[in-house]
Amino acid sequence: MEAGSLAGGHHGAGAPASGVKPGGGLLKWLFTTDHKLIGVMYMWLGFFFFAIGGIFALLLRTQLFAPGLQVLAPQVYNQLMSLHGTFMIFFFTIPLLSGLGNYIVPIQIGARDMAFPRLNAVSFWLLIPSGLMMLASMFVQGGTAAGGWTQYPPLSSVQYSPGPGVDLWILGLHLAGLSTILGAINFVVTVTNLRAPGMTMWKIPMFCWAVFITQCIILVATPVLAGALTMLLTDRLFGTSFFVPAAGGDPVLWQHLFWFYSHPAVYIMVLPGMGAISQILPVFSSKRLFGYKGLVFSTAGIGLIGFLVWGHHMFATGIDPRLRFFFSFASMVIAVPTGVKIWSWIATIWGGSIRLRTPMLYALGFIALFVIGGITGVWLALVPFDVQVHDTYFVVAHLHYVLFGGSLMAIFAAIYYWFPKISGRMYHEGLGKVHFWLTFIGMNITFMPMHWLGMVGMPRRIYTYQPQYTVGNQVATVGAYMLGVAMTIFVLNMLFSLWKGRRAPVDPWEHIDVNRTLEWTVSSPPPAENFATIPIVR
Amino acid sequence: MKRSRLSLRLIASALAVGAGLLAAAAASAWILDPVTPVAHEVRTLFWNAVWITGGFFLLAEGLLLVAILRFRARPGVPAASFHDNLRLELVWTAIPALAMVILSGPTFTTLKYMETVPKSDLTVEIIGHQWFWEYRYPAYGVVFANEPLVIPQGKIVAADVSSVDVVHSWFVAQFGVKMDANPGRVNHTWFQVERTGTFNGQCAELCGVLHGDMAIVVNVVTPEEFERWIEQKKKGA
Repeated sequence: MEAGSLAGGHHGAGAPASGVKPGGGLLKWLFTTDHKLIGVMYMWLGFFFFAIGGIFALLLRTQLFAPGLQVLAPQVYNQLMSLHGTFMIFFFTIPLLSGLGNYIVPIQIGARDMAFPRLNAVSFWLLIPSGLMMLASMFVQGGTAAGGWTQYPPLSSVQYSPGPGVDLWILGLHLAGLSTILGAINFVVTVTNLRAPGMTMWKIPMFCWAVFITQCIILVATPVLAGALTMLLTDRLFGTSFFVPAAGGDPVLWQHLFWFYSHPAVYIMVLPGMGAISQILPVFSSKRLFGYKGLVFSTAGIGLIGFLVWGHHMFATGIDPRLRFFFSFASMVIAVPTGVKIWSWIATIWGGSIRLRTPMLYALGFIALFVIGGITGVWLALVPFDVQVHDTYFVVAHLHYVLFGGSLMAIFAAIYYWFPKISGRMYHEGLGKVHFWLTFIGMNITFMPMHWLGMVGMPRRIYTYQPQYTVGNQVATVGAYMLGVAMTIFVLNMLFSLWKGRRAPVDPWEHIDVNRTLEWTVSSPPPAENFATIPIVR
Repeated sequence: MKRSRLSLRLIASALAVGAGLLAAAAASAWILDPVTPVAHEVRTLFWNAVWITGGFFLLAEGLLLVAILRFRARPGVPAASFHDNLRLELVWTAIPALAMVILSGPTFTTLKYMETVPKSDLTVEIIGHQWFWEYRYPAYGVVFANEPLVIPQGKIVAADVSSVDVVHSWFVAQFGVKMDANPGRVNHTWFQVERTGTFNGQCAELCGVLHGDMAIVVNVVTPEEFERWIEQKKKGA
């Protein structure tokens, strides 16, 4: 509440003049400190890597269409599998959500820009060398990292993975981490200090709350990943032995540090999407969000407990039995705040006046799929069952229900919802719906059989498999191709609409008053510096 | 209106197919045929989890579907205006929390059971290599690699799992056993196989180029056969 009053008078004058510089074209993009242009560049970068990661996934699924195929050599399979995970997590989902947050958050809180516009530009531009290093790692001698996105030592050590590919992978990821940390500082300061007068704590839109809490998680978690990556790098290049057992190090230490970051990373990837869902559902139900405070508390709760559960990725590692009890129970507890969200969303649309436009379809699809990922998540918290299916396709199924069914569906909901605002044009509704149905059905065809494959014992990350797993794999591959078609339709729809789409009005979704956040009060796209006069929130 | 009915039916059928596949998946896992006490316990725990969480699954997906079906925008029908209900929110926080506490009971019992290695009849050492398994029988001085592990039926076998190079994981699904083989550490697990036969498994931790080929075969034989076999092995056969 205090912070709300801080936002007032001085920020309009205090914020550095940002926005469009004189001169247009390429220079405008290269030198901009405007949060909207930076946000758009983040999203282009994200979708670029989404395309590459997606093509890799299709190659992997092609190799797995039948046992014994030789579409990809074993080492190439391992490399593409590693980069698929790395790209989708660090170069698609996280940057894309940063871009969305960058574009939307300042407008929603009634600010002219982020708190540190130049730092914002630095955050984005760091991703360019970072992404280039990742891409370059594929073309150096020995190829890129092949140890999965998890890069467990000793497999990722210089002894078992010589060659500069892994070093480039580590450095690329390091830079991406730095970019994320700088961005997090910027977001936290922005939401804390730059809110329009009258926007007290309990008036912050749900998406901004979710981004704020997510960025707090990043501030705590990502430096730990940076530390672990540094240790891995010095082990490889300078002869240290943090993870070298022969010299007194311990590979299991890496697993602790890695998952201390990477479990919260799941929430980094899903909470902003949940925030977007919490705004989209009310809009297309013409009803107020149910249980706003409960949703804020549950988001914060997930963020906090998310730091206490990393051990559930290590139940087969051989950690102390007492720790397994703790991590098991803590992981089960996460289901409670997650449940609060699910019930609140259903209560939000209950009794509403539902319009099934594309963003709404994606939001509803998100709930339907995320529930499945949440339930299998509870099962995976149960140590004995987890040990049974750990590192099998069951986990692959679970994580894709959370990250594809969760994060990606939410990202699509958000993209369709804000596309008119960001581009100033409407997308094609019919193609949007086709995209949704192909994605929703294709997603289930791809990942549902993997539950079964895992339960009957098919390990993940294998380039070929025993004949008894053939049927499930063939179904999954067919589903993956369907997803390929769906994503092609999405890209065509977006590109065509950017070029020829109908002009978008200020508020194409006809928000009811309580749901109309500030971005729907300014033109589409919003003017430079967003607001002629800073709005006062009542 | 008609088009949206169609999409509803599509949602409903997609959900039904999904639930059906999930049920089929569960059924196959049940059929998977556990052969150790631990694996039986894991199956029981799994079904407990299915029953306890299944209710929430059906409730959530069902309510979602009903809401989409019932509350479509219609001209002249205004949306409801409620937006909080503390009692309802407390209920839907407390009930899942209670369910988790209940579920933790059988989880912890099973966990304790599988964690506690009982007094064993035989100890084997399992050592991962890129990309094969080495097996040692310290009581008999027998060491070999790249051959099936042979163990006696019905006897409690304690396994000390380790690795000489990268992390591997010794995984036989029907035993309910998966234990990482870490270099520089020894992990302990156990199994008591109820019947004779050949059981297949596979390395479950990415361990390099040929991880996908790192098979595990366990031959479970009668104790008498095991004695004959180990005597022969001792002679260096």
